[in-house]
Amino acid sequence: MPNAQFEHKWGMVADLDKCTGCQACVIACQAENNIPINTKDYFLQRRAYEWIRIERYWEGEYPNVKARFMPVLCQHCENAPCEPVCPVFATYHNEEGLNVQVYNRCVGTRYCINNCPYQVRMFNYWHPNWPARMENQLNPDVTVRTRGITEKCTFCVQRIRRGELKVESQGGNRLNDETIAGGNYDPACVQACPTNALMFGDLMDDNAAIKPYFDDVNAHPGHGEHDRETRGYRLLEEMATKPSVIYLKKVDQYPLPGKGGH
Amino acid sequence: MPPLPPTRQLIPLALAGLLATAIVAFIVVVLFMSWFSNPPFGWGNAPDQPIPFPHTVHAGAVEDGGHAIQCEFCHRNVTTGAAATVPAVEVCVICHKQINGANAKADVAEPETLINIQRVIDKHADGRPIDWERVHRMPDHVRFVHEAHLRFLTQGEERVVTLPVGNEEPMTLPVPVQEACTVCHGDVAHMEEVQPQDGQSLKMGTCLDCHRENNVSTDCTVCHK
Repeated sequence: MPNAQFEHKWGMVADLDKCTGCQACVIACQAENNIPINTKDYFLQRRAYEWIRIERYWEGEYPNVKARFMPVLCQHCENAPCEPVCPVFATYHNEEGLNVQVYNRCVGTRYCINNCPYQVRMFNYWHPNWPARMENQLNPDVTVRTRGITEKCTFCVQRIRRGELKVESQGGNRLNDETIAGGNYDPACVQACPTNALMFGDLMDDNAAIKPYFDDVNAHPGHGEHDRETRGYRLLEEMATKPSVIYLKKVDQYPLPGKGGH
Repeated sequence: MPPLPPTRQLIPLALAGLLATAIVAFIVVVLFMSWFSNPPFGWGNAPDQPIPFPHTVHAGAVEDGGHAIQCEFCHRNVTTGAAATVPAVEVCVICHKQINGANAKADVAEPETLINIQRVIDKHADGRPIDWERVHRMPDHVRFVHEAHLRFLTQGEERVVTLPVGNEEPMTLPVPVQEACTVCHGDVAHMEEVQPQDGQSLKMGTCLDCHRENNVSTDCTVCHK
C-alpha cells in the first residue's frame, strides 16, 4: 500500500579513522535495547549478545604492532541473505530500508543466523535475566525477547518511531535532520559515540550528512574502490548484499614499515 | 504365550484411540479458551482492585449521579505519551482531601464508601502507592502509543470516518477526548468495574482493520519493536 509515511531509507556511516574502540556504542546498545548482561560464560560459549560489537584486529608484529577497531552491527542489507531463508517471515525488509526482526513471529530456526555473513544475529539461548532491581531500568519501548528467538540490531527503530510521532505532533510532516534538530532519532550507538565515528541518517534526505558517502560508493560499485573519492566501502562488498552501512577507511598517519597509508 | 482372543487384541488399540481423542480434545479446548478469553483474566472478568474504584461516580455524567471528571484529568499522560498512566495517590487526594468521611453528608455516602475513601487517604499519609490491578493488558511485544491515536481522534480538520471498531457507524472527527476513549475502551464512564470485554478485544486484527481503513502504516515495526 503506498503510504506517505514511508519515505525514508535509513543508513549509517562508520568512520574507522575516528573509531577508538572504546566500546561506548556496545554499552549504549546494551542499555537501550534490553540486552541481557553478558557473562564470561556467554563469551566462552560464543553465545554473547552484542547487537553491535567492536572487532579488533592486530596489525604488525611485536613490538611494532597496531590495534585496528571496527564496529560491526546489522548491515540492514538491501539484498539480505537472512530474509529469504526465514520460513515464517519473521525477518523481512520494510519500506524504510530496515531489516526487521519480528520477535513474535520467530520460531527459532536459526537459519538466518547461519546465513548472515556478518555474524550479527543473536540467538537467545537462555531466558533473559538481569540482577534483581536492574529490571527497573529496562527500556519500556523495547520488547524483552524471550528464550528461543533470534534478535538483532534494529537501527533503534523505537527511536525512529518516537521521532516520527514527535514530528507529527508538532505539525511537521517528515522526519529528517531539520525537523528534529540534532538527530534525536539517532540510534543509541550513534548518540553515545564520543568521537562521532558513527553517523546515522536518511538517504532520501538530500541534506543528510551521510548522503555523499553513499552516493560515492554507489557510483563505483563492486571493485571500483580505487575510483572512489571518499574512503567509503561496504563490508564484504563482493557478496552483493548491498549493506546500508558504509565504512570509511582508516587513514594511518604513521603507517607500519612496509604498509600503505590505509 | 497363547494368542489373545480377537476382542482382547483390540484393547490396546482402543486405549490408544481414547488417549489420542483425549489429547486432541485437550488441545482443542485450550485453543478455544485462549482465542476467546482475555489472557490474564480468563473470560474477560475484571480483576479485583485493592480499593473499589467506581468509574460511574467519577467519570459518569452528572445526570447519572457522576461527577463527569474528564478522562485525561486522572490519566493525564494519555494525550502526551505512550501510556495513559494510572494516577498517583496524590491525584486522588486532590479531591479526597475534601471529600471524605470527616465532612461527608451522611445521607449521600454509604459507610463502605467512606471506609474506602479513608483507605486512599491513609495510603497517601503513609506515602505508599495503591497497587491497582491492570485491566487492559497487551503482550510484551506490542507497543501501543495512546498519544498518536488520540491525536487522530481528537485533532485535525473535520472529517467523517468509519472505524471498524465499536458500533461501526460513521463517526465525525474530531471528537472530545472522552468520546475518543470509548472507541476502544467502551463506555467506561458507565462501568462500575471496568470490564475488558465491554471494550474492544484488543487483538491484533482489531488494530490492523483500523489501520487499513484509515490508510495508516501496517508495517510490523509500527507496533512491534
